[in-house]
Amino acid sequence: MNRRRASVGGGSRIGRRALFGTAGAAIGSAWLHRLLDAAPAGAAPAAGGTLLVGEGFDIANLDPGRTLDLTSNMINLAVYDTLVTFAGEDLKTPKPRLATSWTVSPDGKTYTFKLRSGVRFESGRELTSEDVKWSFDRLKNIESQAAFLLDGVDNVGAPDPQTVTITLQRPKPSIIPIVSHPSLGVLDRVVVQAQGGDAGADAKTKDHAESFLSSHSAGTGAFRLVSYSPNNEAILARNPSSWRQPHVERVVLKNILEPASQQLQLERGSIDIADTIGHPQADALVSRPGVVVRHSMSATTFYLLMNLDPKIGGPFSNPKVQQAVRYALDYEGLMALAGPGAVRLAGMLTPAFPGALPASEAVKTDRARAKALLKEANLTGARGKLSYVSGWVRFGVQIDPVVQKIQADLATVGIQVELNGMPILAAKQLFRGGNAQFLIWSWAPDYADQDDYLVFLPGRLVGKYAHWTPETSPEARQLAALGAQAETEIDTQKRSALYQRVDHMLAQGPWVPLFVPALPFAFRSAVGGATYNAIWELDLAAITKS
Amino acid sequence: MRLARYVVRRVLLLPVLLVGVSVLSFVLSHLVPADPATAFLGQRAAGDPVVVAAFKHRWGLDRPLPVQYWIYLEGLLHGDMGTSLSTRRPVTVDLRERFPATVELAIGAMVLSVVVGVPLGLFAGVRRRGIAADAARAVSLLGVSTPVFWLGLMAIILFYAELGWAPAPGPLGLEVTPPPTITGLLIPDAVLAGQFGVALDALKHLALPAAVLSTYSLGSLTRLMRSTMIETLTEDYVRTARAKGLPHWSVVVRHAARNAFIPVLTVMGLNFGNLLAGAVVTETVFSWPGLGQYAFEAASSLDFAAIMGVGMLIALTYLVMSLLVDVTYAFIDPRVRIG
Repeated sequence: MNRRRASVGGGSRIGRRALFGTAGAAIGSAWLHRLLDAAPAGAAPAAGGTLLVGEGFDIANLDPGRTLDLTSNMINLAVYDTLVTFAGEDLKTPKPRLATSWTVSPDGKTYTFKLRSGVRFESGRELTSEDVKWSFDRLKNIESQAAFLLDGVDNVGAPDPQTVTITLQRPKPSIIPIVSHPSLGVLDRVVVQAQGGDAGADAKTKDHAESFLSSHSAGTGAFRLVSYSPNNEAILARNPSSWRQPHVERVVLKNILEPASQQLQLERGSIDIADTIGHPQADALVSRPGVVVRHSMSATTFYLLMNLDPKIGGPFSNPKVQQAVRYALDYEGLMALAGPGAVRLAGMLTPAFPGALPASEAVKTDRARAKALLKEANLTGARGKLSYVSGWVRFGVQIDPVVQKIQADLATVGIQVELNGMPILAAKQLFRGGNAQFLIWSWAPDYADQDDYLVFLPGRLVGKYAHWTPETSPEARQLAALGAQAETEIDTQKRSALYQRVDHMLAQGPWVPLFVPALPFAFRSAVGGATYNAIWELDLAAITKS
Repeated sequence: MRLARYVVRRVLLLPVLLVGVSVLSFVLSHLVPADPATAFLGQRAAGDPVVVAAFKHRWGLDRPLPVQYWIYLEGLLHGDMGTSLSTRRPVTVDLRERFPATVELAIGAMVLSVVVGVPLGLFAGVRRRGIAADAARAVSLLGVSTPVFWLGLMAIILFYAELGWAPAPGPLGLEVTPPPTITGLLIPDAVLAGQFGVALDALKHLALPAAVLSTYSLGSLTRLMRSTMIETLTEDYVRTARAKGLPHWSVVVRHAARNAFIPVLTVMGLNFGNLLAGAVVTETVFSWPGLGQYAFEAASSLDFAAIMGVGMLIALTYLVMSLLVDVTYAFIDPRVRIG
């Protein structure tokens, strides 16, 4: 006999087990669906409100008074305001920020800044000139690596709450771009003092605010620092007290060391901006839908150093050999290795700022002349070691193929160089100890002025590393004096002309100027306003995200 | 009682061994012919004797080496491992933040390597020929010989970029707020806080790096389990069990496998220590903010306090794991007498 049950209405009845099973499956499925699809608890505002930036961090700490690192500059630009600033990629025309206007005394030694009124810190307190003075005094007195920015500054005055004066020991027109540096961002002195900050003469030992400033902000910027996990992640949120508002609510900066990983994450939309990719990644991203690739001119100069001390430099200390090296190189080939957008250097000053020699005046390859110079010097078959940081990728430039190219080029005129790749610490030690015979290196700008590149002059920082001093020769003495004249010249046109003369002479020094690379970076097409600046990378407050 | 005495003796030895490790890591890190000022100061600052002197004075680097070590040791006795030059925070804070991330990754890798490797090795030990044996050999060979760096990048390209099965590298989605810290481990903390969505997000992010990190351990455990199974299956008591008429898989699992597992347990403990210490490449590839990445950055920048802190933490982990393995061994194998 069939055990089929009769059901109400004539159809078959659903058994209890089946009913409970079906109901259970439905509930479980709904729960699982909710679990998988629901935004995780604590999720931030929806896309459009949060900007996700992937970058290989260059941060020692976030205390503006103690850091010059690129990523630190980017973050500090967002959370602190400086007296003046630059817009986008431009580093030639300073714009008002906290200062609405400024004047310079006829002797060029006193700058007077009028402050914007109604600017408030995160704490709600109104900014005054005392905060500017305190911040600048702190930077100078803690004697950190950023203190040199205020070299030559005699006094910072606060004659009234809306006026700041900077008095210099001698004229220094570069003070205007210098005060745009994020390290000179203005701190809330009340908050920072309460956290152990000190700006007095003993600040070197008395200031203990670094730890606080590395995890909190105390500025007037468009953002505030929510959290910083060292070498991992920094989170910024809109600062509601700020006089200038950003276009996004939140920024998450993630430390992604691998450029290839940045590329993949940008393609997949996991990040909005990939800030430290190399040229191979940029080339791969160009054809990807929804991705925009840009190459922005950096101000970083790549060059070869040849040591003038015969005991160290050997054949490379001979000016004729130095000239021969300049003529021997295949600059077209080197420019190809420097990547798209790279600019040839004619001298040692960067073309990013006024006063550099134009690329048209750069030395041309002339191997016959190189060989003739070596013969004159009786140094055909010269040998040496080209030192470099092994595996270095800087501003998109891969150093290894560049040094291999240089080695091959020099071999064509009879100069045999052995490649001496080393870890970065060892290379820095060699370079800064003045013990490098022949070395490839770079100089990135500390601030947006040609002044910063006078380090190559005889007797100045990098000049000393090459054992080039004013005492080396009459020409070196003349160049040193010319450089000193250029940096104190307050007439812009005269200054530019002086720098060109300086650059012309620098090009004949113990250097081979190579190129200034263009830095590749990429972003999703929903992002707008992303420009790269050679001092502080991205201006996060100017970026939009639709 | 004997075991308890043994454990106490080993625990009392720990501080002595750790001081030895601190001396060794101090000496070795100072043998590097470079100056931390070179690493941490920019080009300009490094050329200014005033700034260099201020930097060295601030970090105690202008003192004689024995004095530097003595100051460090004094701090260590009070639980102070010094301040990291890289992060400018106490090393203990850094380690407290970084270590759980590595532990979570190592646990994930360990679970995967045990769950896959042990059964695979067992099966391959029983069926010495055939697909299982071939699979076990392939897995163990590939596991121990594939470079983690390459495997990690390939895994990201395949599972994340091409297939979209895995989320972006990192411990959590960029837009996800981490749960409140209780244990320091993301998944347990999220579960304890009732944030199951965050827990699931963390688990999804953990899967791929844990799988990549597990490959070496998986390979070695598979191979070891197979070889101990083969050996154990030839023992007299196994023959006796079979002669008594017990079912085949009962003999394999209840008699042979338990004994074959004992040496595997020892290796598991050591592997866990290796996973903790060797996660640096995986962490770098997957942007995992753990101890490995911290150690790499510390070594690259001559951050002495961080180098020594990491060294001592890893040494402590190895010592504790080794003690736990010995004690567990004594518990599960009554033939073993320790102490």
